[in-house]
Amino acid sequence: MGFTTRQIHAGVTPDPTTGSILTPIYQSTTFVQDSVDEYLGKGYSYSRSGNPTVKALETKLANLEGGVDCSCFGTGMGATTATMLAFLGAGKHAVVSDVAYGGTYRLATKVLSRFGIEFTFADTANPEDVAAAVRDNTAMIFTETPANPTMKCSDIAAISAIAKKAGAVHVVDNTLLTPYYQLPLELGADVSVHSTTKYMDGHNATVGGAAISKTEEHAAAIRFIQNSTGSIMSPQVAWLTSQGCKTMSIRMDQQSANAMAVATFLESHPKVEQVRYPGLESFDQYELATRQASGYGAMAWFEVKGGLAAGKKLMDTIEVWTLAENLGSVESLITHPVTMTHADVEESERKRVGIIDGLVRLSVGLEDAEDLIGALDKALAGI
Amino acid sequence: MSHFYHFDTISLHAGQTVDPEFGARATPIYQTTSYVFPDTDTAASTFNLERGGHVYSRITNPTVGVLEQRIAALEGGSAAVCTASGMAATFCAITAILSQGDHIVASSQMYGGNVSLMKNTLPRFGIETTFFDPTDLDSFKAAIQDNTRLIYGELIGNPGLDILDLDAIVKVGNDKHIPVMVDATFNTPYLCRCFDYGVNITIHSVTKWMGGHGTAIGGVVVDGGNFDWGATDKYPTITEPYAPFQGINFWEEFGPSAFATRIRAEAMRDFGAMMSPMNAFLLLQGIETLSLRMDKHLSNTEALLEHLSNHKQVSWVSHPDLSSHSSHELAKKYLPKGAGSIVSFGVKGGRDAGKAFIENVQLASHLANVGDAKTLIIHPATTTHSRIDADALVAAGITEDMIRLSVGLEDVEDIKADFENGFRAARKFADA
Repeated sequence: MGFTTRQIHAGVTPDPTTGSILTPIYQSTTFVQDSVDEYLGKGYSYSRSGNPTVKALETKLANLEGGVDCSCFGTGMGATTATMLAFLGAGKHAVVSDVAYGGTYRLATKVLSRFGIEFTFADTANPEDVAAAVRDNTAMIFTETPANPTMKCSDIAAISAIAKKAGAVHVVDNTLLTPYYQLPLELGADVSVHSTTKYMDGHNATVGGAAISKTEEHAAAIRFIQNSTGSIMSPQVAWLTSQGCKTMSIRMDQQSANAMAVATFLESHPKVEQVRYPGLESFDQYELATRQASGYGAMAWFEVKGGLAAGKKLMDTIEVWTLAENLGSVESLITHPVTMTHADVEESERKRVGIIDGLVRLSVGLEDAEDLIGALDKALAGI
Repeated sequence: MSHFYHFDTISLHAGQTVDPEFGARATPIYQTTSYVFPDTDTAASTFNLERGGHVYSRITNPTVGVLEQRIAALEGGSAAVCTASGMAATFCAITAILSQGDHIVASSQMYGGNVSLMKNTLPRFGIETTFFDPTDLDSFKAAIQDNTRLIYGELIGNPGLDILDLDAIVKVGNDKHIPVMVDATFNTPYLCRCFDYGVNITIHSVTKWMGGHGTAIGGVVVDGGNFDWGATDKYPTITEPYAPFQGINFWEEFGPSAFATRIRAEAMRDFGAMMSPMNAFLLLQGIETLSLRMDKHLSNTEALLEHLSNHKQVSWVSHPDLSSHSSHELAKKYLPKGAGSIVSFGVKGGRDAGKAFIENVQLASHLANVGDAKTLIIHPATTTHSRIDADALVAAGITEDMIRLSVGLEDVEDIKADFENGFRAARKFADA
């Protein structure tokens, strides 16, 4: 069945007791057992280990991503942490994309490093750099493509081959494109992680995460860590996210079309120094972005002539667009990564990977493209 | 002899059968609009009320259903219908049995919203109300007319706190064959089960003590199942064929829950004041601790009554548990655990002193609700009862210096200390 059908129906069967067309919200800690011998006979014991409402979302996401199983988490960082803990430990090494989300960078350098896990940050846009970073003890390669906020892309198939040769798992953060546009597991990756907060919820209502595995073995390893460390998604969040997923493909198509229109406008504007959007032919990895995904997503960035001061003025004066963190929701957001999302990344590291001071990040929403462009035009005129 | 569960057990268990699919211990939140039918025959028979079952959440919802059955069990009624608010419950209950040309006899000491409904809204649809002084049974009897179809009151009057003499009222209702409907919000079934005294219908704003945490608005109508609607032809909405459901006769089909079923079939379907499943879940959770909270509300109230009665800046204190209150004997009879946690009192110095008091307490919240876990205070003359005229204000027992207090669950010493902030600010008006 097609993606749009599956995003609505996968994981949902009418409640057998009442016929309720939607999965009920099982806001319950515990589940009554029929007898000692039939413990777990109905599949649930305690909501940290599993919950029917969360399970419905997990089944849906596993189906959409083409995996065997999914664990949902309280946040996207919860999903990334559990996945790293599932495959890494003291003495192990991971190669991580040098332009990964700032939170992933912080987790690796400030937290997991305290437990004897070693990280190398490699330019994953260049598979040779990844191969060169691999060591004997490398257990994971973690990529994010396109990366937030630079939009740098990584070749999932090529890096999966390197991981396979090294005996390491390849984890891909697929948040920015969603399984509607990009299927990392089909391209050779082992685990897809998501911040469901973004396009899956789509309405800025919830914070959540997911990790989808291609094999039962990997899924069990992640599930074990989740049950041991307790990072779970609440039934309410799972229910709201399930509702959001039903319109994911149509939101993605419209938001991506809006993003293309905005990027095209910015590229021709005299006050704009540069624009990066994977759907623009000027994008240096346009060929890769077109080959491994069926859409370009709704994230872009640009640099205003006049650098940081001009960029700040634009963000402080712009209408329609909201100055806020998060991305992927129906509301268009404008962000300054250097002072906001990537403030925890050292200046030297930021500069090295291309997060320049004047970078203005756009998360294009569902508003009318004319309104979004009109607001940018007005704000640029005021600089 | 069969064993009947007691109040606390009912508060926790009534209406809920453990989820058969997964065994979830808490009631699932059925946040759904509609229900898939297994086949067309089931669909048809569910639609025309031949069988129970869910069609569309405006009419019934499994999560709301648990709350309805739990409240019906706590009240000792035959059935209950939950609504989006307490006012919706009152409106749906009245319009289920009254039509143009019918008449209500109602207590003058009621929540301002109830008074306004009967005084301003219902007359536009041909339903008139005569109000009576709940402390004067003669005025009550005199108010009854040939076309009176409903007797309505609040057990604990708002805000004068006069107690309805249920036995006397019910006797007149029985004699004249008129149902007695009581707004039991202030007492909850924990303090008084009105059906034990022959009341026929109760209404609650479950927003208040039943829910108890100020998180969800809701109402409920409880059918006592004890009124013989078929004894006369005065209640055709219950006893005559109802065209929208193939001429169903509620009284013949549903007997003791005929009234509740009429509300569901008509008011819920046509007026649409449904309670949301999420609110039902929150309210169910509140009811689990109803008796524990009520006991604490009452013990705090008792301590504050003593404190205020002895305070030199308090000109008067009103609560039915005080021997000085005109309803004290009735309170002992109908509300032996205590007559609720609403207290009214006057601060010496009149209107300005009352205003200064309210503006200078910090712990107590100044807002128009009652029955929250937190202590609340308000000045009725300028807020809850501001839409009724001066004469009605007097009839409702409201004075300009009156402060209404809804005693919360805080440590009572902290409430007393907080009130000193108010008294300190009010002092200059008292001395003036």
